Amino acid sequence: MTYETPQIDHDERRKFLKVLGITGAAAVGGDLAIGELREAADEPGPELAAMGEAIRNDLSGSLDAAVLETGLASIGTQIERIPELGAAGFPAADSTAYQELAEPVWTVHDALAEVGFLASAEEHLPPFTGEHIESTARALVGAEALAGTLLDSGFTEEELTTLFSGVATSRERLSLWMPTQAIPEGVEFDLEHVAPLHQRAMGGAALWIDDLDTYLWQAEYLIPEAQLRKGLWDVKEMLGGAALFTAAAHDIAGPARLSDSQLTAALTAGTASMILGQEDLTNDVYRLTDDQRTPIEGGEAP
Amino acid sequence: MSRVDDDAAVEAARNIDLVEVEDGYTLQNTPDDPVTEQHDTSQIPEMDVTEEMLRASATDPEVWLMYGGGYAQQRHTTADAITRDNVGDLSLEYIVQGGVASSMEGTPIVVPGDPPIMYQTNGPNHAKCVNARTGELLWTYTYNNPDDIHGNEGADSRILLCCDANNRGFAVLGDKVYMTTLDSGVVALDRYTGEQQWYTSTGDYRKGYSATWAPVVYDGQVLTGSAGGEYGVRGFVAALDPENGDILWRTYTTDPDRWVGTSWQQGCATTWMTPTVDPERGTMYCPMGNPGPDFDGTVRPGPNPFSCGTLALDATNGDVEWNFQESAHDVWDYDSSSTKVLIRDVDLRGETRDVVVSAGKTGWLYTNDAETGKLLRRSQETSQHINMWEMVPHADSDESISYVPGAHGGNDWQPPSYSPETGLVYVKQNNTPHEIFWLNSEYEAGTTYWGGTLNDWPHVSEPEGWNGHTSQVVAVDPVSGERVWTEWIDSENYLWGGSLTTGSGLVFLGTQESKFIAYDGETGDRLWESPNLGAPISSSPSSWYDPGTGKQYVAVQVGGSGWLRHGPRGSTVAVFGLEGDLSGQQGGAQ
Repeated sequence: MTYETPQIDHDERRKFLKVLGITGAAAVGGDLAIGELREAADEPGPELAAMGEAIRNDLSGSLDAAVLETGLASIGTQIERIPELGAAGFPAADSTAYQELAEPVWTVHDALAEVGFLASAEEHLPPFTGEHIESTARALVGAEALAGTLLDSGFTEEELTTLFSGVATSRERLSLWMPTQAIPEGVEFDLEHVAPLHQRAMGGAALWIDDLDTYLWQAEYLIPEAQLRKGLWDVKEMLGGAALFTAAAHDIAGPARLSDSQLTAALTAGTASMILGQEDLTNDVYRLTDDQRTPIEGGEAP
Repeated sequence: MSRVDDDAAVEAARNIDLVEVEDGYTLQNTPDDPVTEQHDTSQIPEMDVTEEMLRASATDPEVWLMYGGGYAQQRHTTADAITRDNVGDLSLEYIVQGGVASSMEGTPIVVPGDPPIMYQTNGPNHAKCVNARTGELLWTYTYNNPDDIHGNEGADSRILLCCDANNRGFAVLGDKVYMTTLDSGVVALDRYTGEQQWYTSTGDYRKGYSATWAPVVYDGQVLTGSAGGEYGVRGFVAALDPENGDILWRTYTTDPDRWVGTSWQQGCATTWMTPTVDPERGTMYCPMGNPGPDFDGTVRPGPNPFSCGTLALDATNGDVEWNFQESAHDVWDYDSSSTKVLIRDVDLRGETRDVVVSAGKTGWLYTNDAETGKLLRRSQETSQHINMWEMVPHADSDESISYVPGAHGGNDWQPPSYSPETGLVYVKQNNTPHEIFWLNSEYEAGTTYWGGTLNDWPHVSEPEGWNGHTSQVVAVDPVSGERVWTEWIDSENYLWGGSLTTGSGLVFLGTQESKFIAYDGETGDRLWESPNLGAPISSSPSSWYDPGTGKQYVAVQVGGSGWLRHGPRGSTVAVFGLEGDLSGQQGGAQ
């Protein structure tokens, strides 16, 4: 068993191309390879660069490049382990295999949270509006270096397209995740205990992956292998998002190979993929209706 | 004049007003001090209840010493004088006129003796001691919940109750009975006099904590929990010293290492029903409520352990043993708050093992290994599942979703029962839809924030595929997961409260149609029903055999309760009895 990458259907393809501004003959054929999309997509709006510049200026001196470089490499290593986890099937009672996947995400999360990077990202980046996602998608597709980061981390070209398309076409889902400062004062819970949006995305992703060792062992009886295969892609989606986000932070700390627009796109898309992955995971392996579960009649005899 | 008409404690409870406020309910006109009224307390036999008696409660046909009958929460009496053949002759022995028309969700406990003594509670923290043979009142008590709102102390310093002025019963040990209080406390009363012995606050009601369940006494501890899951509290389980109320240990149910940032501080995951205890393992199984805030999961990402499922703790120190979630990262208010049923020596998937059966709002029964928490079965559905786990698009389009089970389940807090005779678990399920509207665009400072709002049937769009049935009684085989029999009950009120099984294979439960019913547990046939008792039954019955009269009794509180369509209030305890012999088959472990 390995993981199952979702297929982009006609509706999603249409939406993806529209977000990228690709129309006419270029939209008719083609297999949505990122290289081809890069040539055809419109340029992102100029506002992305200003956001990226603000984040870069805010925290460039406080990030630890070595920790982030190691973290990014480790996330890549863990992404490449996913087929191995798929082949192993459901974990044993004492498994820590999934927790190991999440370890470098926690390392990066803790390092970024400590210096205020996650709060800064929330401060300088807008909510998931249609405009912001559109610009992000265009900058993302245009950033060869970001594609390279993911390809080096075990993503195929096809998976890259799937990941980017997910970000570009999920505005409605993403818009429910509001930046903390956009939630009004006076709500029934204490806003002091709501972490910045980007911390919620990264920490949430790590928590879900952590939980899989126990949950998959506990609920093996209920979960068909087909659902687990989908869940493994969801894990890859979250880790891919973490890689994008970490790559952006690392770029600020050192190499500065990304343009300011690409930096913003990496942070936004990375956050979006971590959000979408955790939501997809809940739907694929946690919230199983009777139609989705292993049939009760097919289970072992009492 | 009946006793309740000149009873100071009854009068004090009667004066208390349950007032609806913006965020729920609060209390007004509470007494300044606890009120006890004594009648003929000399009728109470002096015989302290021991832990040995508690351990034997489930198998001793002459007692009902704790909320679920025994530590396993099977709600089963081994008394079998009432049988399939003679239940038609069951008749009303007496009615305790309570005089306080409030929430009636409790289970009377019964201490053996000559005569047996009943201890009974109802809202708002009013209690009675009754001669269980005659129905005569022996003492009454009303707790002095704070009345801050009456003193104009502000909206952030009052009791807040989500769902009514509930109290579900006493625990007993030695010469004391123990009751939780709406201001999140536990109070101990002298069971011979009704006088208050000690009070301990377990949580700050000004922060939204409250307490409604029956505590349980185990191994020199009074085990209690936490409520306030709609008000951003941090859930906990605690153990108190039965002698003086000192808090012996407390385990919070949101682990900072498993929540993002400091969201654990308002993550709720309260445990607002009575825990099940396995004395052999020294493990307690806690029913777990929703994470907070209820409907906006984006501010608390991750699975949000230990919400919405079962939490197994070491019952001697509160250490976590395992947790199973039925609705991880829940956003539909799918608590799993009904009591968990421990069943021993079940042959399942090639092994003989003990299992814990859970009936939550998700509308399935879960059978988990008691030792490890591994899921062994999820049953066939016990309510319909329509738009289950469906999210709604963003608010811009003013869309909504109508779904079944609604936020009341399935199975809300109603405790299931289990029959060793039939091997079946009996649950009372609701099947009406609820509707969620996302209202993110309408945030306003100072208003409640659920991330949406909830409409209850019938004020909803009925979802396609809904069969129009509002509730049902369901018998489920927890080993095979098979739904063995079902009886639909349709009413404008919801079905509330729990059930009871007997050593003769009967199942007793009350309905929202004001009837108390005896079923054949094996077939689901109605074998007997009471006259109309004047109000819906929202409580869970108890039963005992009195050797002094040669009768088996079944008691149930009468009156509509709870947070939705509960129907008219009531204020009585109806006690039915039938003369007969025990079979002598009692005994054995549960």
